[in-house]
Amino acid sequence: MESISRISSLLETARDLTLEAANNANNARRSTPKELPSGQLKKLLDSRSEREILEGLRRVVTMSYRQPPSQTLPFFSHVIKNVASPSLAVKKLVYIYLLQHAEHEPDTALLSINTIQKSLTDTNPHLRALALRVMSSIRVPVISQIVSLGIKRGAGDMSPLVRRAAALAIPKCYRLDPNTEPQLLEYLSTLLGDKQYFVAGAAVAAFLELCPDRLDLLHPHYRSLVQKLVDMDEWGQLATLRLMMVYARKCFPRRTRKVQKTPHSNTTSSKPTKSTKGFYDTESDSEEEEEKEQNMEEIAVLDPDLELLLKSCQPLLQSRNAAVVVAVARTYLYLGTPEYLIQAVGPLVSLLRSAGDIQHIALHNIVQVCLTHPEPFVKYYTHFLVRSTDAPHIWRLKLELLTLIFPYAQLRLQSLILAELSHFSHSGSLDPTLVKESVRAIGRCSQSPATSPQTSARCLRLLLKHIGSADGHLVAESLEVIRHLIQRNPSAHRTTVVRLAKHLDAATSPQARASIIWLVGEFAGLDSENNIAADVLRILVKGFADEAEPAKLQIVLLAAKVYIHHLNANPPPEPSKTEEPKASPPLLDSYHEEEGGFRDENLEAHSQPTESHQPEKPHPIKALYDYILLLARYDTSYDLRDRTRVYKALLATPTSTQLASLLLLAPKPVPHIPSPSETRKGYVLGSASLVIGDEGGVGGLRGYDDLPRWVKEGDEPDAALRDETVSTSASTYDSARTISAADRLDAAAGSSRTPDSIMSPRSLNGVGESSVGVSASKGKEKTLDDWLAEESGSEEETDEDEEEETDEEESEYETESESGGEGDRLVK
Amino acid sequence: MSTVEALYIFDEHNTPLLEHSYVGRPPASSTLLPLYLSHAAPRPSLIYLPNTNPATLLYSVIQDQLLFLCPCSSDTEPLQVLEFLHRVADVLEDFLGSPLLASKIEAHYDVVAQLLNEMVDGGIIACTEPNALRDVVDAPNFIKSLLGGVGLPSSTPSSLTPSATPFSLASRPSPRLGPTNTPQATSSVPWRRANVRHTSNEMYVDIVETLEVTLSPSGRPLSAIANGTVAFTAKVSGVPDLILQLGCPGGVQNAVALPVFHPCVRLNRWKERPGELSFVPPDGRFVLAGYEVDLLGPAALDAFSTSASAKSSPKLNIPATVSVHPSLGPSASDFEVRLQLNPRFTGKSPAPNSSSTGGKGGLGRGISGAGFSSSGTTAAPAIEEMAVHIPLPVGVRNIADLRVLKGNGDASYSPGDRSIEWHISSREISLLMSQDRGGGVGATATLRGTVIGQEDETAESEPAPFATGTYDYDDEQTPSQQEKTKTEPRKIDYAKRNKVLMPSCATVSFSVKGWLASGIKVESLNLDHKRSKGLGSGVTPYKGVKYLCVSRRGVEARC
Repeated sequence: MESISRISSLLETARDLTLEAANNANNARRSTPKELPSGQLKKLLDSRSEREILEGLRRVVTMSYRQPPSQTLPFFSHVIKNVASPSLAVKKLVYIYLLQHAEHEPDTALLSINTIQKSLTDTNPHLRALALRVMSSIRVPVISQIVSLGIKRGAGDMSPLVRRAAALAIPKCYRLDPNTEPQLLEYLSTLLGDKQYFVAGAAVAAFLELCPDRLDLLHPHYRSLVQKLVDMDEWGQLATLRLMMVYARKCFPRRTRKVQKTPHSNTTSSKPTKSTKGFYDTESDSEEEEEKEQNMEEIAVLDPDLELLLKSCQPLLQSRNAAVVVAVARTYLYLGTPEYLIQAVGPLVSLLRSAGDIQHIALHNIVQVCLTHPEPFVKYYTHFLVRSTDAPHIWRLKLELLTLIFPYAQLRLQSLILAELSHFSHSGSLDPTLVKESVRAIGRCSQSPATSPQTSARCLRLLLKHIGSADGHLVAESLEVIRHLIQRNPSAHRTTVVRLAKHLDAATSPQARASIIWLVGEFAGLDSENNIAADVLRILVKGFADEAEPAKLQIVLLAAKVYIHHLNANPPPEPSKTEEPKASPPLLDSYHEEEGGFRDENLEAHSQPTESHQPEKPHPIKALYDYILLLARYDTSYDLRDRTRVYKALLATPTSTQLASLLLLAPKPVPHIPSPSETRKGYVLGSASLVIGDEGGVGGLRGYDDLPRWVKEGDEPDAALRDETVSTSASTYDSARTISAADRLDAAAGSSRTPDSIMSPRSLNGVGESSVGVSASKGKEKTLDDWLAEESGSEEETDEDEEEETDEEESEYETESESGGEGDRLVK
Repeated sequence: MSTVEALYIFDEHNTPLLEHSYVGRPPASSTLLPLYLSHAAPRPSLIYLPNTNPATLLYSVIQDQLLFLCPCSSDTEPLQVLEFLHRVADVLEDFLGSPLLASKIEAHYDVVAQLLNEMVDGGIIACTEPNALRDVVDAPNFIKSLLGGVGLPSSTPSSLTPSATPFSLASRPSPRLGPTNTPQATSSVPWRRANVRHTSNEMYVDIVETLEVTLSPSGRPLSAIANGTVAFTAKVSGVPDLILQLGCPGGVQNAVALPVFHPCVRLNRWKERPGELSFVPPDGRFVLAGYEVDLLGPAALDAFSTSASAKSSPKLNIPATVSVHPSLGPSASDFEVRLQLNPRFTGKSPAPNSSSTGGKGGLGRGISGAGFSSSGTTAAPAIEEMAVHIPLPVGVRNIADLRVLKGNGDASYSPGDRSIEWHISSREISLLMSQDRGGGVGATATLRGTVIGQEDETAESEPAPFATGTYDYDDEQTPSQQEKTKTEPRKIDYAKRNKVLMPSCATVSFSVKGWLASGIKVESLNLDHKRSKGLGSGVTPYKGVKYLCVSRRGVEARC
């Protein structure tokens, strides 16, 4: 969802903005208080008047943001002594100063601890929470015990605000002094069971910081946490989802059940299941074996507790927070079944509506899901079309997505995607890398195993069209991809090579020419009856001097290849020649047999055609080769001359070509272009390592936690652990659940009716007052929506009477506030 | 594992404005900024800096020209940090006023410091709801005066507990009688401030749709998505319970896809009755919901290839489209950009209809302020801020003879630029529209220009344009033949080379007030008096609705 500031920038016209900006620049810059000499400032701080102290503090805080701490440190004692001030505003500013400077003067800072400690017992919960937060944030290790005591007190506080502050103070206290851990764990386990959703959320965050491995503490709270998930604030939801992913992996073994494959589910559900399995393939070998049974399909059997988690995540898919949506998708991807994951696909795509920075990260996550489950993304193809305004890191990922969904798209969509890619490949003169990437994307489309041969041929045709273009990048990249395609299936592309060779007349880019020449050379050995390699060489030799260096290198290489094929086909008669055919690779062997008819009788008759100066003309290939060597010898390029020398030495004796064929005719591995994000496939969805990739180190960035494996069947903690505690403390949790946001709302709305019973501290502390009027009778799993939806009629009857009362009172205040407003206006 | 280690804010000139560290020893802003700036211009929002100690992940968000940086030393969820940075911007804007300016931050460091301390506690994001923050941090005074006395009246520095003042005591209808007299300073609804009081009760709905349309060279729309956002401004006392009914020809459930909601919206209600948003709003301005509408409909793909002609392509009802015609003229170096305006929309009308209404009759704009009613009504929506943007390839050195053939407007290009801007003011649009009022096909405007490529490139390739087309070493060929073979492909080569220099797309920007591409309307906005609390029985808040359709280079045509 767009942030409100982005929307308001759309709503307010540019003119208004600039006017106000100018206005502000004039006023505020001038009005920022000029810095006072330190003596005067100290005087302000020491003053008896609260207004002056406040003014002094404001100036000091402002200074502390603009200048190094050494400038503001002299005021330390003057500021700190105001900590006892009764004014909340003064206190807040003193605290801010204290937190910034305590480390520089730990001893003086300690003086303030006592006063802060006193505030822990204040009647105002805001002040208590503030004091606890500040005390735990002072980075002076000596006070760790005091902080720990403060947390203990705070954890039992009746105000949820204070309890939340206590939860958040726990990791800070641990950082001060790790020895306090046992006490802290105790407080934490109480807080984890807190019935207030925003206390529980903070407690989970603290748990993740303090002891993410102590899952045993969680068992009794698992169900209540999962149920509170919907009502937590977004940050609490994030922490809980993160925790639950680890918890579920370690506590719910992956059980699978084999069922007969239904014909319908073949395309939709079975495939994702398999690919998920592939994704976790290390987990168990037995599963792999089972999968071999063809017509049986594995269906994950979900633990009821796990299912509870998955179900309670569902409403979060509509969250405005992009991180929450991704966290739910992560939960579904790693814990759930494909059916769940499909629900998350739409919300993931909807993240592309948000600001560019979020879009980038969201795309990385979408690609990650798409790598394993491409099908559900097909219908959102319109979102992946590249726009001219996209930044490079955005269109790169969009192109990848298009190629990932390509094999699963229907024909029309396939042609649309291809048209799209080819558009960017030749009109992408905007950005050469875009050209490159889109040509590569076409290559990936045609390579994918799911692509039909016709489509593949279509891709190739598309690429071949590019060869004549004037855009060097395009031609070079197209040929690169064509080469890959040809190498994957050489026999089918013999004619393609001939076609390419014809293009040598038109292609101008040296890279492109080099690529074509190389391909011709690779195919020089195939089908030698009517191979064009020698002829191409003949033509190229004529223009050798005008070629660019990369092309020259390839021409020399082509000459060497043609020559060695020629030698292999027509071995010069030698005494030792009988061994030769055996030594040469089998591939060449077969040609040797076939090409018997090609043999030059004349050459065979002579023992050493190269060195003996025969009156007959040498074989044209030999002549060409010699000519090339001669030309290259006087070239300006070192590299070219060196290479020529190597070839010359390799092929010096026509009788022994073994080494040369080993070097020159070695079979080339078939190149495979993986999707660029394949390398990141191992990283967990939603992590920063996923975005950074291997750049951040092979095992992920510092602090990266890999997904834990599923616990083995039998090793998991007893499910009763979760039941048992819930039943013993059922009353606590029941009442805990009843006071959700809904009831708080109720309490506020109907505060005139039953303020005490609902908001009373006793019920807040969960002593089990299940008779809390209306709300408690409504069952435990009530969320805000339920509550508001089913507001009972019986309640309204009693409402009526009291409403009048409220209204009367309300109207009084109305007038009062109105008069206040008038007063304001008058003042203005 | 702390999420947020520090927050740095820089102004538009990259001078540090604020440096606030939460936990650990994050690298200073002075070390991070140069490393951030050293990245190439469209900087990704997450940058990995291996050279700092410790190696740092740097998150960045630019909002209102301010740069927000947040370093992290360990792996965190990137979206969490980025969302947080956006929330910081939102909160600061809420407290300091919109737009967020460097000077405002500088003038209110004390407020900003309090906010930053409340939002993150020990590296853990604690609270980002503006309303909840208003309970604990007092907004600067000038805002309070602007909003007309909004806000907790407890800011008097002498009162330690807000409840001690008679005012806030009075604001609670029934004083608590419990054993511990805890004042209810905290709100019961996490997103709504406690004790909201307004002298004038107002509610405004702003629906903003951002268009993203891609047109194929033939003019057929490939994709057309309207991204909608419902912004809501609630200035209502007490705890109001509102129902906002959205309507759309063809049904909301068919049009609206992938909605997201503010946590205050009751999801079940939406699921049962799509289009009905039932919620207790936070106080102030917030984004209620986001959605998207596929303007082409689900059958777009089928229509795309079954019929080849452009006429049967799905009709797209947007204010303006554009088409690019490259490689014109004798040397194929000219291009033409045609802007097609939809006749439904007019330019700025000479006599603005000030009593503009949105949606149904009852929802008039309550107060005619806000600078909205000047132009553009639902009856006659007007196009404003029309601009055509034509990005150019790198090879283009200059554009010769750039002129508007038909219509008017101001096309600007200076040598070396990577794009042409063509602005047409709303007055000129209305002029255009009036010219062919009779036809009903709308107006067109045309821009033509000639590209000139790099000089050195042509010079270089002149002597030997083809390396292989000619056989220089072949003695048998006559020179005349050689010439022939040389010149003919050269012409084609010009076309080819100029093709590389052609613009490949053009984008249109505009904004239309009072009209939405999706046709979504606010049918009603009601206050549920039974459920709402704290609002006088006779009080009916003012209601206002505003529609805005924006394209920020969103309509893109390819060629």
